[in-house]
Amino acid sequence: MTWWSVVRFLHVLSAALWVGGQLTVSLVVLPLARRLLDPERRAVVLNAVGRRFGVFTAAVFLPVQIGTGVAMAWHKGVTWASLAEPGYGRILVAKLALFCAVMAAAGAHGLASSKGLPGLARTMAVAALVGSVGIIVLAAALPAT
Amino acid sequence: MLKANAVVVAWLGLTVLAALAGEALPAPRWLLVHLFLLGAVTSAILIWSEHFTVTLLHARPPDARWSAARLGTANAGTSVVLVGATLGPWWMAAAGAAVIVAVVIWHTAVLVRSRRRALPGPFAHVVPWYMAAGAALAAGGLMGGLLIAPATPGTAHERLHAAHAEVNVLGWIGLAVLGTLFTLWPTVLRTRVSPLTRRASRTALRLAVAGLAVSVPGHLLGARWVTVAGLALYAAAAAVALAPLVETLRRRRPTTPAGWTLAAGVAWFEVALVTDLVMVAVRPAAEAARALETLLPLVLAGFVAQTLLGSLGHLLPAIAGGGPARLKENAALLERGWRARFAAANLAVPLLVLPVPGPLRLLGWALLLGSVAAFVVLSLAVVLGPVLADRPAVPAVAGVLVGCVLTAAAVVVAVTGAPAAGPGEGPGTIGTGAAGVSGAARTVEVTLVGMRIRPSTIEAPPGTRLTLRVTNRDGQRHDLRLSTGQSTPMMDPGASADLTLQMPATPVDGWCTVVGHRAAGMTMRIVPQGTSSAAPPTTSADQGAGDQGTGGHDPSAHGRADGGSTTGGTGGNTGTGRLDLTAPRSDGWKPYDATLRPAAGGTEHRIEIHAREAELEVAPGVRQRMWTFNGTVPGPVLRGRVGDVFTVTFVNDAAMGHGLDFHAGALAPDRPMRTIQPGERLTYRFRAEFAGAWLYHCSTMPMSQHIANGMYGAVIVDPPDLGRVDREYVLVQGELYLGEPGGQAQVDKIDQGRPDGWMFNGTAAGYDHAPLEAKAGERVRIWAVAAGPGDGTSLHVVGVPYDTVYKEGAYMLRKGDPGGAQALDLAPAQGGFVELRFPEPGTYPIVDHDMRHAEAGAHGVFRVGAP
Repeated sequence: MTWWSVVRFLHVLSAALWVGGQLTVSLVVLPLARRLLDPERRAVVLNAVGRRFGVFTAAVFLPVQIGTGVAMAWHKGVTWASLAEPGYGRILVAKLALFCAVMAAAGAHGLASSKGLPGLARTMAVAALVGSVGIIVLAAALPAT
Repeated sequence: MLKANAVVVAWLGLTVLAALAGEALPAPRWLLVHLFLLGAVTSAILIWSEHFTVTLLHARPPDARWSAARLGTANAGTSVVLVGATLGPWWMAAAGAAVIVAVVIWHTAVLVRSRRRALPGPFAHVVPWYMAAGAALAAGGLMGGLLIAPATPGTAHERLHAAHAEVNVLGWIGLAVLGTLFTLWPTVLRTRVSPLTRRASRTALRLAVAGLAVSVPGHLLGARWVTVAGLALYAAAAAVALAPLVETLRRRRPTTPAGWTLAAGVAWFEVALVTDLVMVAVRPAAEAARALETLLPLVLAGFVAQTLLGSLGHLLPAIAGGGPARLKENAALLERGWRARFAAANLAVPLLVLPVPGPLRLLGWALLLGSVAAFVVLSLAVVLGPVLADRPAVPAVAGVLVGCVLTAAAVVVAVTGAPAAGPGEGPGTIGTGAAGVSGAARTVEVTLVGMRIRPSTIEAPPGTRLTLRVTNRDGQRHDLRLSTGQSTPMMDPGASADLTLQMPATPVDGWCTVVGHRAAGMTMRIVPQGTSSAAPPTTSADQGAGDQGTGGHDPSAHGRADGGSTTGGTGGNTGTGRLDLTAPRSDGWKPYDATLRPAAGGTEHRIEIHAREAELEVAPGVRQRMWTFNGTVPGPVLRGRVGDVFTVTFVNDAAMGHGLDFHAGALAPDRPMRTIQPGERLTYRFRAEFAGAWLYHCSTMPMSQHIANGMYGAVIVDPPDLGRVDREYVLVQGELYLGEPGGQAQVDKIDQGRPDGWMFNGTAAGYDHAPLEAKAGERVRIWAVAAGPGDGTSLHVVGVPYDTVYKEGAYMLRKGDPGGAQALDLAPAQGGFVELRFPEPGTYPIVDHDMRHAEAGAHGVFRVGAP
């Protein structure tokens, strides 16, 4: 138990909040909102949920995730060159790329929602959700050393 | 009905995903083929053969719940096969195959019952086609189950593979499709059924069934011309079946995409049949399976996929229901961009089959997958449309697709090794890696043989540029794939390929991707070395100790999925590698019988010698896989008199090439001493012109390995004046090298002359545990041959001088001479005998008086009882 355990804990906790939050919204909140709320209030509630989640993402999730991630990589001695190596390096690089793609999708979701393109917004939201589950798959595949 | 077809579409989608994931999957090619044929196509045949039987015969439809149960069970079986075959264990896949066969038999029985109950009608002729197809799948599924079982030997495996592919593609799929087309084709063209149909159908079915009944056994037996005859019959059947289809086509040109796609599918089917026939005819039977494999994309993409897509394109709108408006809407949806899709799929087929350069082949894949994926998306919209009714599902489905594609791409990046980071970089750039360790280069020979990868464990310091020179020494095809993503191509017997990797800090697993082989034990592991311990002066000593662990305690050949990859070389065994000769022997162990029987009467001796691998107790409690003649080390002892003729029939039942070399005969080595391959035999005939104790051994290079692994024995040719004795024994001395036979660690020890022990008759200290018997006052003759491969012997009996010594064809000391002898010295491959008389009861050790040898196993005892 060192301070590095705490850093890793924060990384995992923040990821859990973000991915878990998305899953909860998609699997629990959205279906209930569709069933229980009339279209007008539904739009209001879902917009508020989306905005709050976006604020959380930008203000808490991204800084914590990037900060702890970079710190752990530095601690592990990851270099640019080592990212190309098969094994740990490549899995990490794939995970980072997928993370960027998911962030792009999430950003596109926010943009599409605010511009009133519900179809695109939903596509991007689901893509971000599935992609973030993929990130967890890759995180699980990273050799624990 | 619609939901059932969603299953087909889902399997199609999985097929596309598997093709996109490509090399990231454990058995990419196999998985792709079986996701498509076993998943999508088999489900489609089950659904549609039942549907057509019911519709055409106006039969009462079978209980929908039972139909769903059949489809569900078949799909469960398919899933089990897919998981079992790619991830193991093999029996899981075999059980899945059994489930599928059972479901198809059940399904066929239902169709037969429907036909019996229905009134005779003009379309009753389709059901026999489905019955024949079902029977074909039963046979093909059985063969599939056998293929995956690890017991099937190499050459039989290839033949079984060819038969399996043929009976399933031409039988199960081909017959079902032909039977259906008789009515589906006119329906798609919106015209009446051809008057030629009934006769053509009857004749074609007879021909096709006869053709398969001939060609499949032909494949199994490896009889090329039988297969060709069968295929010719089948092709004739296809031609007959074509007649009504062409007649219909003459009356009415296809106008719909479904019509064109079906027509293209049938055309590719005919092309595939003719090519298949030619390929089988011009190639030896053993290569048929491999040749047919190149044809696979043609059959899969050209024939099966287009037939399936064409039929679904026509049938899906019809079964989606919802009134004429909806029907039109759905049909229009499925027709979207059909010309481009049709052109892409048909352009892709030649690109995938012909030997075109890499980028073009990639284009072929892109065209094909794009075409199929577009169809999957469109038909999902049709199939799921009513299910999802008013929900805004399309964006969600699109989102799932985008997410899955992104994840799949990331996983592919994660698991593939970069070729650019390998040979492309100069050697100077090694060591710039994370750990900054030195980047030494090292090459290791890796052999694929007998369902094993040898060595099963390789150690390398992290950062090493490790080159694996992989050679397939087996009778069938293999490849080697590493968990880093690198992979050799599929290699024919005898072929080699190199894999280069930068050794990471974590273990790398390797395995053969041929289905079932991983489960059968074709695995290896490359472990990082010396990361924690202070660097040992020599790595080989370390390796030796680790390897002894593997060789010594490996409980059985097929016992573990890992094949012992975890025990070797991990440094867990820190012992010196010294054998414990006082350890208890295993239960049921019997020593090699050292008693030498008198020569059989007659002047001609016939014996059959089989080269085979066997697990033998080579030291007390230590079992090791050995290469043997007739399952024992040493092999059988041959005995005769001067002038006798020995006729040896040599059969190779092992997994690699072996040969024979009898020192006792005088002949040109070229023919009789040649190496024969697994399954072959030769006759070795020699006349024993000279007396002596002779060595025979395996003549295949490297002989050091073949002899060190137990392939030797003795030929005793009595001198004419041989005196009478009370007992005769024969001892063949050899060295013991523990570890995987032919593995790197063992070969290093052999080359450096560092045996783990020395053995009389194949067991170190065996006759300490099972003493040789004699009685006081008896004369005993002990024949000895030094097999080596590296060391001779100085054979000494503690307590008793010899009064007779015969070595290499001459008496050095005869009974009655005033002198005596204390040791019989033999260089490797020399032989002789000594005679002695035990003076009184007691326990007399017999040793190689090179005491290093004696103390490491070249040691036994005579228990001499009272007269």
